[in-house]
Amino acid sequence: MAYMANLGAHSEPNIEVHKFYSGTIIGTALLSLVFQAFLHKYGRWSELIDLPLLVTIYFGVSRRNPVSGLFLGGAIGILQDALSHDNPIGMYGIAKTIVGYLASSVGGRIDTEHPLSRFGLIFLFFHFHQAILAVTQRVLLNHSAPLFTVRLLIDSLVTAAFGVILFALLDRLRRSS
Amino acid sequence: MIDTFSRHRPLALLAGVVLAQVLLLAFQIRRENNVRLIRYWAVELMTPLERAGTWTFSHVGGVWTGYVGLRNTRADNERLHNEVNTLRLRNRELESQSAEAQRLVTLLNFHDAHPEAPMLAAQVIGASADPTSHTLFINRGERDRVRRNMGVITPDGVVGKIVEVFPSTAQVLLINDKDSGVGALFATSRTHGVVKGGGDPEPRMEYVINEEKLQFGDAIVTSGEDRIFPKDLLIGTVDAAKPGNPFQVISVRPAARLDRLEDVIVLLSQQEFAPKKSEEASATSDPTATQPGAQTAQPPAPPKSSGVVSDPNKFKPAPAPAQAAARASKPPVPQR
Repeated sequence: MAYMANLGAHSEPNIEVHKFYSGTIIGTALLSLVFQAFLHKYGRWSELIDLPLLVTIYFGVSRRNPVSGLFLGGAIGILQDALSHDNPIGMYGIAKTIVGYLASSVGGRIDTEHPLSRFGLIFLFFHFHQAILAVTQRVLLNHSAPLFTVRLLIDSLVTAAFGVILFALLDRLRRSS
Repeated sequence: MIDTFSRHRPLALLAGVVLAQVLLLAFQIRRENNVRLIRYWAVELMTPLERAGTWTFSHVGGVWTGYVGLRNTRADNERLHNEVNTLRLRNRELESQSAEAQRLVTLLNFHDAHPEAPMLAAQVIGASADPTSHTLFINRGERDRVRRNMGVITPDGVVGKIVEVFPSTAQVLLINDKDSGVGALFATSRTHGVVKGGGDPEPRMEYVINEEKLQFGDAIVTSGEDRIFPKDLLIGTVDAAKPGNPFQVISVRPAARLDRLEDVIVLLSQQEFAPKKSEEASATSDPTATQPGAQTAQPPAPPKSSGVVSDPNKFKPAPAPAQAAARASKPPVPQR
């Protein structure tokens, strides 16, 4: 793999860890939450895309550090819960914590730079995220949340497509090694 | 242990963060009856432990009380068994004595009601070994002035007559024996007949013409013609009647319980029983009552009496048990 290079600063060999300018990760995460809330005002079409999830996945697979991945996912999820009007705090937090952890773990094992692999990764993580949400809602809230619907399929495809573009834009925020 | 933790630190952190958020959720979510989920879980978690603790304590306590604490139970059990057996025996004795006292009270009542008639109380001590023979033995004999052909009765009614006399015992032929015959008549119509045994538990009244109208429960009393029983002693009641050739076939239900006799009265003479004063008064006020053969529109009352039918239309009621018991405490049982 062309992108895989040993930077020497990471404990695992042959894994390229991308670094970002300071404040980039926090700023991007906050912006994703703001945009998600802002776009929600202008129609339900914004529900097709889960921007905080995309940011969680992106920084997870880029940083490739499970600890930072799970904390970033958890923070984004809790903030997303806090901004929603009826979600108990922790619903998205749990889902995005696990997604962040898995994205960081997966990022060091497979190619996450190719657009197609990114599309597939986002698609899978979207459904995994939805599955965790559904299970949490069923177990804790006694709500009958669906595990899979056509609407979710469409959402996942749109989010994955948008994610490929977004990831390419976010790649520009990387600090050159 | 520490090495294992540091190796799986990210995974442990993930578990910790997820658990923290689950707990955070549990603090916010409310279930039925507005109970927080965290409390719900806490109760669900603690209840099995408490139940297990209770179960353990109760079983340990059960082992203690059921085994260790029962060291002397066997001896106690045997002692209590013996005590129960003793008390049962004592209870039976008391029941027997109570029943005997009741019977003696009844006999005493009968004697008090007829002081003019010489009579002798006796106990049944045995019965005939022949199943076809309805006889029994009493504990009175020649020494007690018992003679052949003396009548034997109970306060309920006629039992039979003395057929054999021994020095200290006597044999009684019951009215349902096939060799027995008692002069009888219907209390209401005064129609005569003879009550004879046929070997069955119920004797029959014979020589009653088919034209005689009978009803179930009609009282049958002694006629006195056999020179054994005084007149108007209750023998029994009509149990069934059907036309026969040339006489009716009438089954008689004996007034005395012939199968459960324990105490009887031997009539030492054939002297008729005088009616009581109250009955005499009522008899004088009702002139038809003293006329033999007089009939009333009303059927006779059930023969629950002292066994003597001094008035064909009226049976003498037995005294109240309380009064009888009070009298029983004063004089001794007649000639026992």
